[in-house]
Amino acid sequence: MILLALLACPLLGALALVAARPGRPATVIHLLVAIGTALAALALAVAVALAGVVGVPAWSLRADPLSAFLVVLVAGVQLVAALGAPAYLAAEAAAARIAPERAARFGPLFHLFVWTMLLAVTTDNVGLMWIAVEGTTLASVFLITLERTRASLEAAYKYLLICSVGIAVAFMGTVLVYYANIQQLGESAETLDWSLLVTVAPRLPSGVVALAFVFLLIGYGTKIGLAPMHTWLPDAHSEAPAPVSALMSGVLLAVGLYALLRFKVVVDLAAGPAFARRLLVALGLLSMAVAATSLWAPQNYKRMLAYSSVEHMGLVCLGVAFGGWAGVAGALLHLLNHALAKSALFVLAGRVLQRYGSAEVDRVRGLRQAMPWTGAAFLAATLALLGVPPFGLFVSEVLILRAGFAGGYAWAAALALAALVAVFGGMLRAVNRMLHGACPDEIVAGENGRWPLAPVAVNLLVLLGLGLLFPPALVAVLGTVAGVVGGGG
Amino acid sequence: MTAPPTAFGQLTGLLASAVVATAFLIVWRQSVPGRLALFAVQSALLAALAGATAAFTGKHELLVVALAVLAVKVWAIPRILRRVAPAVPRSPTAARSRVGPLLAAGILVFVAYAVMFPLTGGTPSPTAAGLPLALATGLIGLLVCATARLAFTQVLGFLVFENGVFMLALLATYGLPALVEAGVFLDVLVAVLVAKVVLGEIRESIQSTDIDRLRELRG
Repeated sequence: MILLALLACPLLGALALVAARPGRPATVIHLLVAIGTALAALALAVAVALAGVVGVPAWSLRADPLSAFLVVLVAGVQLVAALGAPAYLAAEAAAARIAPERAARFGPLFHLFVWTMLLAVTTDNVGLMWIAVEGTTLASVFLITLERTRASLEAAYKYLLICSVGIAVAFMGTVLVYYANIQQLGESAETLDWSLLVTVAPRLPSGVVALAFVFLLIGYGTKIGLAPMHTWLPDAHSEAPAPVSALMSGVLLAVGLYALLRFKVVVDLAAGPAFARRLLVALGLLSMAVAATSLWAPQNYKRMLAYSSVEHMGLVCLGVAFGGWAGVAGALLHLLNHALAKSALFVLAGRVLQRYGSAEVDRVRGLRQAMPWTGAAFLAATLALLGVPPFGLFVSEVLILRAGFAGGYAWAAALALAALVAVFGGMLRAVNRMLHGACPDEIVAGENGRWPLAPVAVNLLVLLGLGLLFPPALVAVLGTVAGVVGGGG
Repeated sequence: MTAPPTAFGQLTGLLASAVVATAFLIVWRQSVPGRLALFAVQSALLAALAGATAAFTGKHELLVVALAVLAVKVWAIPRILRRVAPAVPRSPTAARSRVGPLLAAGILVFVAYAVMFPLTGGTPSPTAAGLPLALATGLIGLLVCATARLAFTQVLGFLVFENGVFMLALLATYGLPALVEAGVFLDVLVAVLVAKVVLGEIRESIQSTDIDRLRELRG
């Protein structure tokens, strides 16, 4: 029931927004839908915490702790993005960068995008999950082209093509898993339900499932932004409007990872854990290396944030590969921390971009004087993202690296650490150059309204709390969630 | 190793080979309308494959799938793509030698057989022989997509790849659950429509969908 409410909220909201009069009524509906989605997500989390698994079998819906974790993540980040969106869109419209008829598209597409992500993490059917993940791409293409600049159109086309091809590869993998299932258990096993796949997984032919996982890793890896399939990501994430970038970098990548995790459970049971582990370590390290070279001297701060997502997704993959409680729980915690820090940074980057009119690092000078609060928050969120204590990312990075050193992957953990250090230097240098120096004369000083900064402040406070307290309740929750992926105990 | 030849196995094998042959022809043909016609032929062959599977396995819902293929891939998508295709044909001087791509496509068939070995070895399924051909079709589609110079050809390559995936689903599992199958068709159709709109806007802004000119974004 609560699952249906959660999915109905953004879908009906999107429909209502198509019909709504632009301006104030549309804005009110937009905010109400975002808040309603967040509340439904919290209710679902409570229900899952109490009952373990919540499901609507007739609709192939099923939420276990892992689903609930992702639902809360998606709903939280969409709330941050949605709260900042009206001010952002108003400023864009005032600067004549977005035409009114295109701005009216934002609300419906935004909530449709959120709906596809929520569906992807709450359906039990891996075929429907695939459709929903492809749906996330289709729903977000026109969000990227909102400003209709040539660069944003090209980025959207590249995003559509690469992700559609990638996701079709994942479909091939899904078909192979289905094939393995039918071969082993006969026509009676005509199901794509994950909960049933897991029960039969140990009996599935390991060769076919392993081959399927390679396809799935390439396919969903494209959505996660793992190198070498990441090439669409810096373009799409940097050209999209800030609230959309926040969603894409904060949670869309995590939804892709969720899909991969579901299949990792199946392949671990069918072919042994070593198979997926080797592949994930390789792609994780490659992603971190690619990101580190791009982040050594960033030219464009939105691309910098996008490449940093590639880096963090690589690290999360390493955590999943290292395994054990520390590895898997660390990876999940890192997803949460990264979503908080990255969504805050994209919202802030949007404010900087609106003021300076350029996403080039070299064109932004004296941010500290021009926008003192935004500048301070940008620095704090960057430090959090780079894993500086006392912010939450420090804890999750230590957990992941410790799992690597303890689990016989000391060399991989050492390489990951080296990449983290390199990124630290490069990104901090770029942010420092933006903060200091003389503010160009044509830039107006003063904040463009402070209340859009409120969600950012909340994100930073939560990050502080996660870093300082690391509450026992959270440890228990992460343990339960990690248990779904086989990282419990 | 191999099942004794049955009428069903022979028919699907024949159709699967014909699908791969159209993929080769798509690599070989240079003209946009020609490639589009070949894509429609390939999709029609897949509809026939779905129909044959329905007839031999008694899974009559596959007839609906066959009709959906005819409606979406043989009729609707070529019509949509014709609008995306460049109006002016490329000048003859721009013609490229097709030897390299054809050779690469031939190699991909071997790759497909090597990759699909775990599936074809020792399975009683009469259609197992066609599985590597499905992957080969997909890989050739990827080749077309990766080596394209026009956005139109990239989208076409993606669609050939998608045909390969569809063929794999058909031959390996005699179709997926109806809900999933319907969703996949919807996704492909929407993807092509979205691509059409985006490419239309790009063309309005730069008067070309030659991807050599889509180079504003650096990696």
